Amino acid sequence: MAVRRRPSIPNQTAAPPNPDPGGDPQPPNAAPSLDQFSLAPPKLGLILSVLALFLIPFFYLLFVHYQVESDLRYYISICVALSLVGFVFTVGLIPVATRYLLRRNMFGYDINKRGTPQGEVKVPETLGIVTAIVFLVVAIVLQLCTLTADSDWLVEYNAALACICFMTLLGFVDDVLDVPWRVKLALPFFASLPLMMAYAGHTSIIIPKPLVPYVGLSVLDLGVIYKVYMILLVIFCTNSINIHAGLNGLEVGQTVVISFAVLIHNLMQIGASTDIDYKQAHAFSIYIMWPLLTTSLGLLAFNWYPSSVFVGDTYTYFAGMSLAVVGILGHFSETLLLFFLPQILNFLYSCPQLFGFVHCPRHRLPRFDTQTGLLTGTNDMNLVNLFLRLFGRCTEKSLCIRLLIFQALSCLMCFGLRYILAGWYK
Amino acid sequence: MAVRRRPSIPNQTAAPPNPDPGGDPQPPNAAPSLDQFSLAPPKLGLILSVLALFLIPFFYFLFVHYQVESDLRYYISICVALSLVGFGFTVGLIPVAARYLLRRNMFGYDINKRGTPQGEVKVPETLGIVTAIVFLVVAIVLQLCTLTADSDWLVEYNAALACICFMTLLGFVDDVLDVPWRVKLALPFFASLPLMMAYAGHTSIIIPKPLVPYVGLSVLDLGVIYKVYMILLVIFCTNSINIHAGLNGLEVGQTVVISFAVLIHNLMQIGASTDIDYKQAHAFSIYIMWPLLTTSLGLLAFNWYPSSVFVGDTYTYFAGMSLAVVGILGHFSETLLLFFLPQILNFLYSCPQLFGFVHCPRHRLPRFDTQTGLLTGTNDMNLVNLFLRLFGRCTEKSLCIRLLIFQALSCLMCFGLRYILAGWYK
Repeated sequence: MAVRRRPSIPNQTAAPPNPDPGGDPQPPNAAPSLDQFSLAPPKLGLILSVLALFLIPFFYLLFVHYQVESDLRYYISICVALSLVGFVFTVGLIPVATRYLLRRNMFGYDINKRGTPQGEVKVPETLGIVTAIVFLVVAIVLQLCTLTADSDWLVEYNAALACICFMTLLGFVDDVLDVPWRVKLALPFFASLPLMMAYAGHTSIIIPKPLVPYVGLSVLDLGVIYKVYMILLVIFCTNSINIHAGLNGLEVGQTVVISFAVLIHNLMQIGASTDIDYKQAHAFSIYIMWPLLTTSLGLLAFNWYPSSVFVGDTYTYFAGMSLAVVGILGHFSETLLLFFLPQILNFLYSCPQLFGFVHCPRHRLPRFDTQTGLLTGTNDMNLVNLFLRLFGRCTEKSLCIRLLIFQALSCLMCFGLRYILAGWYK
Repeated sequence: MAVRRRPSIPNQTAAPPNPDPGGDPQPPNAAPSLDQFSLAPPKLGLILSVLALFLIPFFYFLFVHYQVESDLRYYISICVALSLVGFGFTVGLIPVAARYLLRRNMFGYDINKRGTPQGEVKVPETLGIVTAIVFLVVAIVLQLCTLTADSDWLVEYNAALACICFMTLLGFVDDVLDVPWRVKLALPFFASLPLMMAYAGHTSIIIPKPLVPYVGLSVLDLGVIYKVYMILLVIFCTNSINIHAGLNGLEVGQTVVISFAVLIHNLMQIGASTDIDYKQAHAFSIYIMWPLLTTSLGLLAFNWYPSSVFVGDTYTYFAGMSLAVVGILGHFSETLLLFFLPQILNFLYSCPQLFGFVHCPRHRLPRFDTQTGLLTGTNDMNLVNLFLRLFGRCTEKSLCIRLLIFQALSCLMCFGLRYILAGWYK
């Protein structure tokens, strides 16, 4: 969660130490005049390059490297096309939505620029709502295009939509009303309930071969415990993106990297498999991941350093839920967790502060030096500060890039791991 | 839509005449202090009496009058029990949410009390979000209790949840950001899309027997035109409740009356039929209507005259969508339209003003006389003013009661009509 505004309330009760970076309380102020406001232009050059960087290997794998059935190629291409339309709508709607959000005093100040003129700018908040709504419309239209009325996947598709939509609703309510953090943690649980019903898959896990002699079984049926695992996965995905935040473009950037890794994984599994249901599961994931990727890129066009908009909890919850949903319904949740390795490390490293064993300040952000324009790591226990302590001071932009490179390398390593362990593990 | 606050914006473009009653632009003001704020106690006596008035005939029909299968009786009873729990949560959460909403300046002034001390009170707005969220959680839990993982109805249930949730999200975004009225009209279209896919029923209509010789067919397959009809039905149900508003408790009250009529209709159809699918369709409707009824009653406990809270577009869109969804997926949309007779009359009567042929003021509310405390009808073309002109001046509370009695009488008349026309019409 990026820097956020807390409304100035004279008698607000002291909140428990909030591990998420937050914003300064904003001085009582009238709504900014709409005349002067104009959003900085989107960084389309960067974003379109990134998009091309994704499209080329994806289409290479889809059309050249793997022998994919032609109807599946057709549907996936439609999916990409509609997602690109979604990208355009996202980029077009964000400036419009910004005016309305600012009018309702939904903005924050960029803490990592405090002391510079940039730190006085009212940055519109909660633009994740645009991404989420465009995503939902694209996903619904895509469903109309790729499924027939009697498809087996209708249940999963609608359950996924219901979950993601409910999570977006709860995330937006949180952004507007600023609910207490304990409630914030529990919200994903409620939003994940439709998934519990729709998940009609196996609830057993395959014991890694080296452990079979110790466990005594090769396949262990977890039953309802697997459903608990699914709920925990949802709660983890949503909140872990939320706490691995605080730099311009970090939340959206990590989502973009992870979703692209998921897409490549889906394509590889489709190409390497002959089981129809298995391929359908990964195709289902592609139909959800592409709209997520393109609408997120549309948001990143404005949120990348220096951020013209902030994304809000709406975005991190929406993105986390989408990733968890495809991991669960596509039956590759263990792989998804591997892609979430930086988030896992960040969460584990943050635990002492999250659980109160170590003092947890209001913001766990680095210290910004106005003279040099560099960030210096504090002793806070998260990846952002750890990278600064390990690799030295740097600008906010380079730090974000370093963290995203770390995310990409983790995903690459996971692909490598799966390849190496393929025969040994399963 | 009840009286609403419009934020004070110096350079807001002149909006086209908004047919919905709205609120005064509120003077720029700091957020009200939370210390002084306390919500008036809910009118539980009235609401619980109404609830009993509903439960008694419903359970009479379910257990005594009709021979309903025991498992269906069991599920419906669970449905009622969970819905009553939802009622408890709604009543408990509204005061909590009201504080957060007030803190975010989401409130309005009651126009129909302007000039009295009551007219200076900041009434929290958009409490429909509480109703909708409790409804969604109850409906999801109910699904877990009544359906198995391979039930045919999972698709419909999840599509219904997705639609209602998306509508709630769009309605809440509208309440927070105050979108232009043209956008407002179009929102239900997007939210209804999951329904278009999930509706796997017949798209043909049965021609009324007396018209068969003229049409030449007894059954006419409308195909895609039926889907267009469904979309129009959704857009109509949501917006018609929105414009038949302006008095304390009118929006929630009409929803309560209609949903109770739908429940009785569902029960009568279950009792009178032997077709399993037909019964399942009406049971499905019951599982959605009971949570709607009880959570709406929880809201009405605070919204009934004199209103301590306002419901917002979130509520009217959420309620309209829920009713349209059950009418469509339960295959009784024509009966639903009969229950919507007052809304149809109000819409038709309002058309000249809505389409601009007759001057449409900002609010089409009656005139409040501070001396007598009575409302006088203006020449605005809606049922609220028509009743005042036909039946004379009266207090806001009696006018609302009169309109709700009209709603109930219309529903009763529809039941009578169906009974009389049963053999003649179909």
